[in-house]
Amino acid sequence: MLEIARYETEKRRRGTVALAVGIGVLALVFVAFFPSLDSADVDIDAMLAAYPPAIQEAFGIATLSTIEGFLAVEIYQFVWLLLLGLYFAYSAAGLIADDVERDRMDLTLSLPVSRSRVLAEKFLSLLVPILALNAVVAAAVYVGVLAIDQSIDPLDLAMVHALSVPYLLACGAIGLVLSVLVSRADVAKRIAIALVFVLFLVESVSASTEELEWLGYVSPTRYYDPTAILVEGSYDFVGAAVLLGAAVALVLLARFRFSGADIGT
Amino acid sequence: MVAIEVTDLTKRYGEVIGVDSLSFSVEEGEVFGFLGPNGAGKTTTIRTLLGLLSPTDGTARVLGADVRDEAALIEAKRRIGYLPADLGFDEGLTGKRVLDHHASIKGDARRTELLELFDPPLERVIREYSTGNERMLGIVQAFMHDPELVIMDEPTSGLDPLKQERFHEFIRAERERGTTVFFSSHVLSEVRQVCDRVGILREGRLVALEDVETLLNRGGKRVQVRLVGETSPEKFVTEGMVDVEPIAGGLQFTYTGEYNALLDYLADHDVLDIDIGEPPLEDVFMHYYGDGFERESESATPKTEALDA
Repeated sequence: MLEIARYETEKRRRGTVALAVGIGVLALVFVAFFPSLDSADVDIDAMLAAYPPAIQEAFGIATLSTIEGFLAVEIYQFVWLLLLGLYFAYSAAGLIADDVERDRMDLTLSLPVSRSRVLAEKFLSLLVPILALNAVVAAAVYVGVLAIDQSIDPLDLAMVHALSVPYLLACGAIGLVLSVLVSRADVAKRIAIALVFVLFLVESVSASTEELEWLGYVSPTRYYDPTAILVEGSYDFVGAAVLLGAAVALVLLARFRFSGADIGT
Repeated sequence: MVAIEVTDLTKRYGEVIGVDSLSFSVEEGEVFGFLGPNGAGKTTTIRTLLGLLSPTDGTARVLGADVRDEAALIEAKRRIGYLPADLGFDEGLTGKRVLDHHASIKGDARRTELLELFDPPLERVIREYSTGNERMLGIVQAFMHDPELVIMDEPTSGLDPLKQERFHEFIRAERERGTTVFFSSHVLSEVRQVCDRVGILREGRLVALEDVETLLNRGGKRVQVRLVGETSPEKFVTEGMVDVEPIAGGLQFTYTGEYNALLDYLADHDVLDIDIGEPPLEDVFMHYYGDGFERESESATPKTEALDA
């Protein structure tokens, strides 16, 4: 079991390491920047309050004057929610479509494996970069925060990472569906990026527009709120369950489509 | 027992017909060549046999498993090897890693033995492979789990002549071991060297199903001969020569008669240069199945037997 997942992980190993190191360093740079902001003679929160509500919502801006609020905005709302969400949707959109386009799927399916297994294991292989990134960046942030003589609740930090896993899986599942629906891999990837970005915007806009509020419920960003976790210490377990459920439903949808499809026509 | 049984198989891509009510079977232990020009539907047939495409109509069985039944086909695939025409290996990995991956799922009992015959540079990443090396990796992959049935799409394309010869030798040895081999080709000489029987496909239809011997007898030889002095086709032509055409300084024709008679006949002429070779596959079609095509396209249900008449 899991031979395909292991193989997929190995194929992406170099990318995973590069991404983990890159974002780890980026996080450290952000953390190192905090003391100069903190000591500056400006009331940054008063300035932020003047921002339009949609912007505040989009970037989960609560406060920038505490390390938690600062991290929530700079790292988790921006890098985790937006950039990594896009990255995993993009990555997943190539899982099937790339192999079909490059004639690799023929060889894979000549093995005694079911299409469902190929699909499921390829999707599961996304867990490795997701977990690796979370582990590396959580450690980097914690060490960085201690290094600048600040403190952060380790449980909150752990939760902001742990609860991001269902979110990133849901973004990946959106990509996976596109990967089996769209035959050209680069088109699938572009649509995946566009879609996740639009969902991100939809949630930001709908939260500040009452009559559109219902629309926000379709966005995965609704169910994972790093600011709430870090600033208020409130964990949305129901949201995480919704995200996991959505990911499973999307994978099943992809499976339904992939199991009956002609490969590469 | 029957290794492959294709029954009224039809595959359409929208309006385009890939294969059209194809029926044939491949016996266990047989080496079967699937011959036809490019675009005839060979790859479509092969990919349907592996369950990559689902039939529009009709079906096929491989090692007893219906290709429409995924669970049964997966069981059968443990005993099937496949070499696709376009080899999609992961370019960033080494040949060894790819073989290890395939081995982890289907086994590799014969890997070492095969690597002595076909030796791609396993420690290098596949991106650096030549077409021939990639093809050899494909061959090892297709045979390493000691399958009962091996399905190959244009197996020798990209191999150098020496390796092609080695491959043909290998297939003959496989036949002795009792492996069933089904492969497509558009090269007549390749098929004649290793196959027991051939099916000829044209425009998605089976136009002939024959023993190789019969096919070759029908195919004849293409002869190009240059003679001293003027030669006109009318004066030169004799029994067994068809499609005589003048070429620079001589004549070209397809010869279907007794070879001794041809040599005797040529001995009476002053021959400057001669070349006797395989006729191009298209010529075999044109001369020996030409009428058949006409009849086939008019009748609703084609019968290959009609062509043998």
